[in-house]
Amino acid sequence: MDLAFTPEELAFRDEIRTWVRANLPKEISDKVHAAQRLSRDDMQRWSKILGKKGWLGYGWPEQFGGPGWNAVQKHLFEEECALAGAPRIVPFGPVMVAPVIMAFGNAAQQQRFLPGIASGEVWWSQGYSEPGSGSDLASLKTRAERKGDKYIVNGQKTWTTLGQYGEWIFCLVRTSTEGKPQTGISFLLIDMKSPGITVRPIKLLDGECEVNEVWFDNVEVPAENLIGEENKGWTYAKHLLSHERTNIADVNRAKRELERLKRIAKAEGVWDDTRFRDEIAKLEVDIVALEMLVLRVLSAEKSGKNSLDIAGLLKIRGSEIQQRYTELMMQAAGPFALPFIFEAMEAGWQGNFPGGVVANAPLASNYFNMRKTTIYGGSNEVQRNIVSQTVLG
Amino acid sequence: MDFDFSEDQEQLRDAVRKWVDKGYDFERRRAIVNAGGFDRAAYTELAELGLAGLYVSEDHGGLGMGPVEAMVVMEELGRGIVLEPLAQTLIASAVLQTHAPADLQSSWLPRIAGGEALVVLAHQERGARHHLNRCKAEAKEAGGQWTVSGSKSIVPVGDQADAFIVPALAGGQMALFLMERGAAGVKAEGYLTQDGARAAEVSFANSPAQLITRNGQTALEEAADIGSACVCAEGVGVMDKTLAITAEYMNTRKQFNVPIASFQALRHRVADMKMQLELARSMSYYASLKIKAPEAERRQALARARYQLGNAMRFVGQSAVQLHGGIGVTDEYIVSHYFKKLTQLEMTFGDTLHHLGEVSARMQDTAGVFA
Repeated sequence: MDLAFTPEELAFRDEIRTWVRANLPKEISDKVHAAQRLSRDDMQRWSKILGKKGWLGYGWPEQFGGPGWNAVQKHLFEEECALAGAPRIVPFGPVMVAPVIMAFGNAAQQQRFLPGIASGEVWWSQGYSEPGSGSDLASLKTRAERKGDKYIVNGQKTWTTLGQYGEWIFCLVRTSTEGKPQTGISFLLIDMKSPGITVRPIKLLDGECEVNEVWFDNVEVPAENLIGEENKGWTYAKHLLSHERTNIADVNRAKRELERLKRIAKAEGVWDDTRFRDEIAKLEVDIVALEMLVLRVLSAEKSGKNSLDIAGLLKIRGSEIQQRYTELMMQAAGPFALPFIFEAMEAGWQGNFPGGVVANAPLASNYFNMRKTTIYGGSNEVQRNIVSQTVLG
Repeated sequence: MDFDFSEDQEQLRDAVRKWVDKGYDFERRRAIVNAGGFDRAAYTELAELGLAGLYVSEDHGGLGMGPVEAMVVMEELGRGIVLEPLAQTLIASAVLQTHAPADLQSSWLPRIAGGEALVVLAHQERGARHHLNRCKAEAKEAGGQWTVSGSKSIVPVGDQADAFIVPALAGGQMALFLMERGAAGVKAEGYLTQDGARAAEVSFANSPAQLITRNGQTALEEAADIGSACVCAEGVGVMDKTLAITAEYMNTRKQFNVPIASFQALRHRVADMKMQLELARSMSYYASLKIKAPEAERRQALARARYQLGNAMRFVGQSAVQLHGGIGVTDEYIVSHYFKKLTQLEMTFGDTLHHLGEVSARMQDTAGVFA
C-alpha cells in the first residue's frame, strides 16, 4: 500500500502537463477558469488539437489508434486537462459511442466511423432519453422498422445534450415489442442530416440551450448502420455505461473549481468569515475523500486484484459536490449573484457589472445548470437503489 | 499508488480476525464491561499475537511494522469492539521509539512488546478540551531527578496501566515524561466510559518521572495523530460490522409480511451508510499513509480524515439504531454497543468540530490528496 505515484507515472504526468500547457489556447482556458460560456468552436477547437495528437480518444486501445493508457494514466491525463482549464471533452463520440463501435461494430463500421471520432471532425450526439423514458430508459418507444435494407425510424428523443451541433446520433430504438422491454431494443447510428429529423433546442433554467428535443419522422436509416445484432442494443448500452467509472465523479474538475471558490470567497470578503470558511473546509474534505475513493478504484483496476463495485457511489458523491461548489460560489457573491445579465456571462464583455466584479456574472447560471447532475446518468435516487442492492441484496 | 494489501498484511488481518471471532465474542465482552471495562488477560492475548510489539523495532523484541499494519489490526479490533486499548500501546511505543533516550527505550520497549508493561498517554486536562498546547501540569528537576505535579482526566485504563506518558511544563515548555503508576504521589480513580471501556482520573503530586523529550509539543502532536489514525481505522472496522449487522437484521425482520429490507426509504438510508463507510475507509487509508509525512502535511491530513470519519461514524451509528427500531435501543442487543463505540470514537483525540476548525485554518489555495 502506497499513496505516491510511481516515478514512471510522475514522468507521464509531467509529459502531459507540458504538452497541455503548450497546446491549450489561452483564450479557451481563460473562459473555463471563469466559467464563461464556451462556443461550439471553442469545444471543437480543443477536440481537434487533442485529435491531432491522438489523445481525443485517450481511453482507446492502441489497436484502434488510441494511446493504450492504463486506468492511472487516463486519470492523470484527465487531471492535467482539468487543472489547466481545458474544456471537458464532449464525450458522446470518443468516450461513449466509440467503445461500443470497437466492441460490437463490424470492421466496416469501425473503419468508417472511428477516424472521424478520433480526429474530432465529426460531432456525435446521444439519443437515449425520451419524453416518457427517463430513469426507466428501457420503456423507450422510438420505433425502427426494418424495410428491405433500411430501417424506418419514428419517434422522439429528448435531453439530447448539445444535439444542435450534432452531425451523427447514436440511438436506442425499439425493434421489437415482444418479451421484456430490454430485449426489443437496438443500437442504431443515424446521420442527423437525414430527411425527417427535426432538432429543437430546449431553453433551461440557466438561460442556455444545452439540450434538445430530436424528432424522427419516417427517417430512413441504412441497415448497415445497425451496431451488432438487432434487439441486443440494451446489452451494448450497458457496456457503454460500465465503461465509464471514475470519470463520472469528475473529481479533477472539482479540485479546479475549489480553487475558484476560494478566489471568489477572498474577493467577496467571506474568506475570513469563519461561518463561511468552514463550509469551504467541509467541501475541501469532501473533495479529498472523493479523490481517495477514485484512487482506490484506479488502484484496483491497475492491479486487477480486487474489484470495487462503487460506480454508484462515485456518481452520487461527485454530483453532490458539483452542486455544492456552485452553490457556495453563488452564496459567496451574495447579493451580487442576483443580476442575471447574459452578455456579462460571455468572455470579453465590456459593460459594468453590478458590484463591479464581472467574475460574479455566471455564478447563478452555473448553480442552476448543475441541478442536472443529480438527475442525469441515472438519478441519484436510482443510484441509491443500486448501491443498496450491493449491501442488502 | 497502490491500495492493495500485501500477503503478510492479509495474514495479519486474518490472525486478528480469528482471535476476535473466537476469543472475544459478545458475551466475553459483556463480562469484561461488567467487571470494570478492562481485562488484562485479554490484553495479554493480544500481546501473545505480537500486536503489543507491532510498532516496536525488532531490536527491542517487537515486529517493527508500520502504519498500514497498525491500520489493519485496528480495523479488526473495531469489528469486535474490543475494549483493551491497543491504540494506546501503539502510541506509547511510537513516542518512546522516536523521542526517548536509549536507556529508557531499552528498559521499556521490550516489556511493552511482550505485554508485561502497559503504557498509556495521560494528556487530557480539564481546561484543554481538544487543544494539545494547553497544559497545567508542571515538572521540576532537582539533582537530576524529575518530579511532576498535576492532574489528568479520562486516562485510558488509568488505574490499571503500568505507566503513563505525561505532558508537563518544564520551565514553561511542554515536555513529555514517563511516569510509573506505582510512583510516589500518584492517585488514580477508575470508571467506565460510554463504550464500556475503562478510564481514570489520575493525579500526581511531586511524583518521580523520567524525561522522554523536551520537545513535548511536537511529540504530543505526533502521538495524537497516531491516535487519530487509530480512531479512523478502528472506526472503519466498527462501521463495517455495524452495517453488516444492520443488513442481516433488515433481511430477517419482517413487517407487513415482508422483510424490512424491501422498503425503499430504508434501502436509501443503507445506501447512504455504505457511502459514508467507503468515504471513511478511503480517508482512513489516507490518514495512515500520511502518518510519516512532514508535520504540516500530516496534521492537515489527519484533521481532514477525522472530520470525514466523525461525520461517518455519527451517521452510521445513528442510522443503524434507527433501522433496527426498538431492538436498536436495548442494551441486550449488540447494535447499541456498536453505536456507543462510534459515539466515543468521534470524541477521542479531538471531535469533529475541532478537526473542522483545523482543516479550515490550514486551507491553502489548492487542495487534494497530494497537497
